[in-house]
Amino acid sequence: MSEKQTILIIEDERTISNFISRALSANDYRAIPAYTGREGLSLFFSHGPDLVLLDLGLPDMDGLEILSQLRGLPREVPVIIISARDRESEKVRALDMGADDYVVKPFGVSELLARIRSTLRRAERLKLSQGIQRSVYQIKDLTIDLSRHQVMLDGEEIHFTQNEFKIIELLAIHAGKVLTYDFILEHIWGPYSGSGSNQILRVNMANIRRKLKENPSDPKYIHTELGIGYRMLDD
Amino acid sequence: MLQHFKDFYHWLDVQHRRIPAIPWNLGVTALFLCAAYWASSILIGHTGGENNSALVFVLAVALISLLTSGYAYGIAASIIGTLCINIYFMEPYAAFSLSRTGYPVAMLSMVAISCVICALTARVKRQATEAVRREKNTKALYEQNEKLNAEKAAIQLESERAAIRENILRAVSHDLRTPLTSISGTVAVLLETPEVSPKNLSMLNDIKQDADSLIVMVENLLSVTRVQDGTLPLKKREEMLEEVAGDALLTTRRRFPDCRVALDLSEDILYLPMDPLLVKQVIVNLLENAIRHSGDREHITIRLYRQDDWAIVEVRDQGRGLSAEVCQAVRAGQPMPLSLSGDSTRGMGIGLSVCQNIIKAHGGFFTAENHPEGGAVFRFGLPTA
Repeated sequence: MSEKQTILIIEDERTISNFISRALSANDYRAIPAYTGREGLSLFFSHGPDLVLLDLGLPDMDGLEILSQLRGLPREVPVIIISARDRESEKVRALDMGADDYVVKPFGVSELLARIRSTLRRAERLKLSQGIQRSVYQIKDLTIDLSRHQVMLDGEEIHFTQNEFKIIELLAIHAGKVLTYDFILEHIWGPYSGSGSNQILRVNMANIRRKLKENPSDPKYIHTELGIGYRMLDD
Repeated sequence: MLQHFKDFYHWLDVQHRRIPAIPWNLGVTALFLCAAYWASSILIGHTGGENNSALVFVLAVALISLLTSGYAYGIAASIIGTLCINIYFMEPYAAFSLSRTGYPVAMLSMVAISCVICALTARVKRQATEAVRREKNTKALYEQNEKLNAEKAAIQLESERAAIRENILRAVSHDLRTPLTSISGTVAVLLETPEVSPKNLSMLNDIKQDADSLIVMVENLLSVTRVQDGTLPLKKREEMLEEVAGDALLTTRRRFPDCRVALDLSEDILYLPMDPLLVKQVIVNLLENAIRHSGDREHITIRLYRQDDWAIVEVRDQGRGLSAEVCQAVRAGQPMPLSLSGDSTRGMGIGLSVCQNIIKAHGGFFTAENHPEGGAVFRFGLPTA
């Protein structure tokens, strides 16, 4: 791609905004800083960025409000949330409202760049596939064949229960994206199943992890987002 | 005047309560009948045949029924009084007679009047006791209401205080984290700029490391303030211990990319109530402690297992082990010795104190010892229910 990808940074802390801008320009992105929510929205419409970094704690507007405005548009632009460590419910709400990913303050530059790359790649892939669903997903040495209901690890088939397979399928379809507990529960056990405890999902996940010989300290396929949900890695 | 009467009635009422009912009732009846007899004898001496003894006895009956319980005593008194008048204060004196014209009518009407008085006073008394009972109830209700109001006010004050504390903590943490994030981030950007000279590069590296350890320190201080004063409740929820431990390890690995830590999972699924961010911090602190102070970065292991009703996390290294001082302080649940606050061991004391406090707030146990085959073992247990 010859043209630089544009990233809109809606963040009221100038020092943070500055170093993000610097890091982005150093990595061949075009960075546009906005210091208030209103400025962010107007820059969004004038520049049409490829990705938005959105701080939830803005002085003039609720970050979630901006997110819902962006999500109401016909063109889906990926959004990565920047949020404080102790505001989990806010992050979960943002993800459920359609944010693609999140980073937690204090975050590192490399971590942020990795999230941006992966989100942009995913958006690119979605654009190319035009909504046509793949039936085979390949993550490292794990092959998930949706049409055959088959999961192969290193050429050997692994047997999962029906619900376990459904969880893997859902994660694979959304590979690279964080899926919240409630999102997964609703898709697999039906609406309102997430209102109480999410134990059933967590236990299923622990079993999947054991079958995949996955160590949570070094995840190869499924990443745990503590207190938020799960994400299947896409590279 | 009314006040005096009230006092007197109250006094009588108190006496009444002190003496059992039957002796009191009999006593009162006898006393007033005697008094009426006595008064009538005096009156008859002055007025002769034209006597008012009937009125005197009616008064006595009225007082008796007022001061005794039930109708029986009043009615008995009225009958005795009528007989008394007949025998002692009517001609012929000292003998019972119904010979005078109209006398039976007078006698019957006196009994009837006495009975009516009895009934009326009994009703008044009932109403009086009812009123007293109602007053007592109202008073009790009022007092209870006062007490509830006071409690409500206290609870409100407490929750307001907690909210203020929460807000201050949030503000402080935001104000500390934001500049630290930008320092660390800015340096990270500079580190990757090609035009930095090698000498400056090492200085930038130092800044980055210090900023990162300050971030950790701030997290620790914030957690310890949150836990220590006990007024902010833990944000407990059911959590998968292996996920918390895994996340802690990932965080640690991001800070110390060259260290090797193994996570040894139990077959058991450990799903238990905890404040996951705080428990994660305990594990991060223990790992950092091992990495920085044990001298061993290669063979650190975290083991998770269940023992009875405890979910146990064990962090083991194969380094130089713990000093007797540290083991002693951990065993006694005391703050870490001051010697650990020195430059070489910066943060170790605070880190371990934070761990102890967090685990204590969870109702768990925390131990530190040296492994027989060398190295230190930190272990903490959380109740599984």
